[in-house]
Amino acid sequence: MKRRLFVAASISAALAGCARVTNSLNDSTSLQGLLKVPDALDRALIGTRGMAKLYGEADIDQNFPTNGLDTPSDPGYMGMAMGNFATYRLPVSGLVDNPQTFTLAQLRAMASLTEITRHDCVEGWSVVGKFGGVPLAQVLAMVRPKREARYAIFYSFDRDQSGAQFYGSIDLVQAAHPQTMLQLDLNGKPLDPDHGAPVRLRIPTQLAYKSTKWVQRIELASTFKNVFGGQGGYWEDNGYEWYAGI
Amino acid sequence: MERPGVRASERGQEAGPVVYRHSITTRITHWLTALSILVLVMSGLQIFNAAPYLDASGLTNPAHRVLAIGAQQQPGGTPRGTVTLFGHTFTTTHVLGYTDDGMGGEAPRAFPGWLTFPGYQDLAGGRRWHFFFAWVMVLCGAAYLIVGALRKDLPLIVLRPSDLPKMLPMQLYYFGLRKEPPPHGKYNPLQKAGYTVVIFVLAPFLILTGLALSPGVDAIAGPLTTVLGGRQFARTWHFLAMLAIIAFAFGHVFLVVSTGFFNNMRSMIAGTYRLGKNEGTGP
Repeated sequence: MKRRLFVAASISAALAGCARVTNSLNDSTSLQGLLKVPDALDRALIGTRGMAKLYGEADIDQNFPTNGLDTPSDPGYMGMAMGNFATYRLPVSGLVDNPQTFTLAQLRAMASLTEITRHDCVEGWSVVGKFGGVPLAQVLAMVRPKREARYAIFYSFDRDQSGAQFYGSIDLVQAAHPQTMLQLDLNGKPLDPDHGAPVRLRIPTQLAYKSTKWVQRIELASTFKNVFGGQGGYWEDNGYEWYAGI
Repeated sequence: MERPGVRASERGQEAGPVVYRHSITTRITHWLTALSILVLVMSGLQIFNAAPYLDASGLTNPAHRVLAIGAQQQPGGTPRGTVTLFGHTFTTTHVLGYTDDGMGGEAPRAFPGWLTFPGYQDLAGGRRWHFFFAWVMVLCGAAYLIVGALRKDLPLIVLRPSDLPKMLPMQLYYFGLRKEPPPHGKYNPLQKAGYTVVIFVLAPFLILTGLALSPGVDAIAGPLTTVLGGRQFARTWHFLAMLAIIAFAFGHVFLVVSTGFFNNMRSMIAGTYRLGKNEGTGP
């Protein structure tokens, strides 16, 4: 019996050692640079090419799941939601020749894209929905990005428990992709607060963590290094890849 | 001439000449691939833990669930870890479902911390290690194939029709039911069958099923995901292919150990190898 206990204790110590080794490798700051090498390779190889697959009405999941951070609960957002977002304004500014602020009604008038596409979560699940909204390229054409603009940065109304603001960024190639949209509708109905109302970014060619919910404002910039954690997004600041086509 | 560390008489092998068996490229890519497979499996299980189920359908669909690993809260006790395979639920507390959290405790999580990379739950970290070593494995595979083709030793590992009648005698020899292996070249017919399947079928399948999970790849190579049955089905195939490569790795190590461990290890480290009975260097 003693011997068996000893064997069990040795095995569990060895197994705990496994996690200790992999944890410390994962925590090593000197390896972080090396681990980011594939990002550039993946982006060069896959990049923003091709079109996301289109699905049929029968594939639509009416119970579209929610994931990620909780719906904003601050009085500002809640009050706006109570009023059906009539007071919502979307400023698009930064490195543009013609900065603009859109009302929800203006955006609705511009909505010309409805597609049934797949929403791929980084966790490994996928669900199909009908996404309706304004092609982002159309908004860009109106604000006229300056030559030095390279990225569109999306600031969200949402904050995590520590108070960090949610944000994300894409390059202007992805922004101009014909399937990238400012989503207003999900499955034929206006977005509800849990799904990112009133405006959510929608990028079917990348993982859904790039599709920023509750878009508060859009800024065009030459870099995102000076924004919050400097990695180009809330999830990126938390270790996820900036390029999420993979 | 006997050399220290070589047991030429193991399993009835008589001392044959020492030959140069594995090129430096083969040896380096072999060990890097072995390391890659280890990290890929462990980081893959870390990634799996974020959505601990597999569906035999294109989209996530609990009605077509093949495998689910979970934890159920029990009144006044530790949660029960469960594995549900084709609708049959097994209790796996402390091993799967509710198990080692990689930080010295236990938590609801599919695969235990000692099997995942990193040990604690970290999808972002798991993905980084997975993609890094996916590249290492792909580049090693490419180097092995290109150098092997240039050196003309790659064809020696490929199974040919003339090997087929020798497979049964070779198997009988492995089982100890035959005194000598059938005459063969650098690789025996069963090695050729195994390596041919792993190099030319399983490895490409692992890469393709992995790529099919990526929305960017799906936008470029849509038919790939479609052929595999959709993104979720591709995830299931990717998992099954992982099980196959693990099975191969165990079989491989068993045979390395049981057919002359020192001689085999020497060939994959120093490159030299003492030939056994009826063993040659050709095709």
